[in-house]
Amino acid sequence: MMNRELLGPSLFLALFTLYAVVAWQIPLLPFEEYETVTSATLPKVYAVFGIVVCLLSIGSTLLKPNEKAAENQPLEKSHIVRTLGLLVLMVIYSAMLEPVGFLISTSAFLLVGFFVMGEKRKKILLFASIPVAVVFWFLMTQVLGIYLVPGDLWS
Amino acid sequence: MFDGIMLGLSTVLDFNNLMYVIAGCLVGTFIGMLPGLGPITAIALMIPITYSIGADSGMILMAGVYYGAIFGGSTSSILINAPGVAGTVASSFDGYPLAKQGHAGKALAIAAYSSFIGGTIGAILLMVAAPLLAKVSLSFQSPDYVVLMFLGLTAIAAFSNKGQFLKAMMMTVFGLMLATVGIDPSSGTERFTFGQADLLDGISFLLIAMATFALAEALINVVKPEKKDAKSLNDSDTPQIGSTKLTKDEVKDMAPVVGRSSFLGFIVGVLPGAGATIASFMAYATERNLAPKGLKEKFGKGSLRGLAAPESANNAACTGSFVPLLTLGIPGSGTTAIMLGALIAYGIQPGPMLMQENPSVFWSVIVSMYFGNIVLLILNLPLIPYFAKVLAMPKSVLTVMILFFSLIGVYLVSFNTFDLFMMVGVALVALVLRLLAFPMAPLLLGFILGDMIERNFRRSMMISDGSLSFLWDRPLTLSIFILSILVLLFPLKDYLKQRRADKTASKLQQEQVQ
Repeated sequence: MMNRELLGPSLFLALFTLYAVVAWQIPLLPFEEYETVTSATLPKVYAVFGIVVCLLSIGSTLLKPNEKAAENQPLEKSHIVRTLGLLVLMVIYSAMLEPVGFLISTSAFLLVGFFVMGEKRKKILLFASIPVAVVFWFLMTQVLGIYLVPGDLWS
Repeated sequence: MFDGIMLGLSTVLDFNNLMYVIAGCLVGTFIGMLPGLGPITAIALMIPITYSIGADSGMILMAGVYYGAIFGGSTSSILINAPGVAGTVASSFDGYPLAKQGHAGKALAIAAYSSFIGGTIGAILLMVAAPLLAKVSLSFQSPDYVVLMFLGLTAIAAFSNKGQFLKAMMMTVFGLMLATVGIDPSSGTERFTFGQADLLDGISFLLIAMATFALAEALINVVKPEKKDAKSLNDSDTPQIGSTKLTKDEVKDMAPVVGRSSFLGFIVGVLPGAGATIASFMAYATERNLAPKGLKEKFGKGSLRGLAAPESANNAACTGSFVPLLTLGIPGSGTTAIMLGALIAYGIQPGPMLMQENPSVFWSVIVSMYFGNIVLLILNLPLIPYFAKVLAMPKSVLTVMILFFSLIGVYLVSFNTFDLFMMVGVALVALVLRLLAFPMAPLLLGFILGDMIERNFRRSMMISDGSLSFLWDRPLTLSIFILSILVLLFPLKDYLKQRRADKTASKLQQEQVQ
């Protein structure tokens, strides 16, 4: 498996190279042809500088004498699953917010979120989700006068 | 200056603004106390609220949240040895042993008094230094700004944790690259939008701040929970607070320590990139070296001096970090970078003209700092036993709430779900980078300064007829440029020293084997 110290710079090297490819394809407008600084100048500078820094980082890691194994605490599978669960939940919430509306989607997001985090107590599951969504909705729409989407499906 | 102070006073003493100072301090303390959450997260969460209350009040609220979070971080450092922020790590060296010995109340009182004095000295120095520097910086031109911003970016990388210089540089470049997404304001050319209409205006600063700090911070606590977190948040076994009274001798002993550390903290805070963490460690080390023999041995085992020094230094440094922000428009830390982004969102350009164009923002931030320190002292100290109960809040509820407030905070500003999807994507990238030990603050600084660097660079090149000679044409530009190069080379010294030490160690090992 790749050394953790090499993984980050390698990922960045790939990203910066991709950025460089796109930077060199930035279309120039006719009036920019004779200008010293165009809209592509600094992106190109950043790309080159970034690639050089990545190569320096990879080089310095490879050349390190007496390389000690990085003190990596392996991540627990259950924690990774929980984190991925929350990320998926956030994507679903983002997708449902406008069609379903703020109240239902937020109550569901909080309730499922607590459950994903391992909360099993029904009191907390219910009282920290629906009332929070309702109070927040009330504060925003009725007190501060901020529009919150009621849900495209119902309107 | 007197007129300015009066203007600041009249703004801050407005009932609403006073409430914002108090609310900011309380919310900041609350969030800062939660292990893993620092002032950047606290301020990021506040930004959507500040958008609806105007620039003066918004900045006052954010400043209150800032020092409230630092104070809150000290509380969790002392009570459960889990610093909420890096700037309060040094406070746990002696604060936690004191709490374990049954003097938690005394330790918290020392933290509060030292923070108050550090913050007050910092605020006075800020009142003197900021207008002076603002006057000097009126003569600054575009080339000076280019090199100053370059200095800011290199300094935050150079002062990052040991061995993280190149990582910080990569993050800075990444931030600069993200800033180039969208329509180029000078020519109107589309850059890195990949045909997405939602990217034409570029990536929102709030989205990046929330995703890289609030969301990533909450998620990292899920994927890699600290044992300390889990224990403290679930069992609520915080120590008994006890008496908060200090004896006359103790006060007499700590007074010079607090004075020295406050000055040191302020000066370190003014330097771009240094900030509260370096200030608190420097103050701790200085006081340990200055302490008489008998007291020196107490450091790390519950020394009152060892707690007072970092506490006063970190608060003074927080105040000091406002100097480059308010006078030059250049943030010296991740926290002030967020504030700069918020000011720009209000349509206010921080810098030398801020004092003349928006004197009420300039002076009310400075005066509110003093009021914030008073609020922290008279309101937070008696409330500490109740705040300590925050540490018992179920982590399951807290994490999901942070995710909710971050997402809805961004949505309420843009009303665009594309931003939410993008935010989750950025948070995932930030999470992976955090796991690979990449610092986040340089990314934010690069992102915020990216646009300003490009604008000033173009202007400078135009003035110098397409030549880079603007870098050495004026003595001021040249001196700042040389300083930036020196700062850039500064970590190289450590690297070479480390390599030499490693080589010597391996040689010795080989000789021993033979």
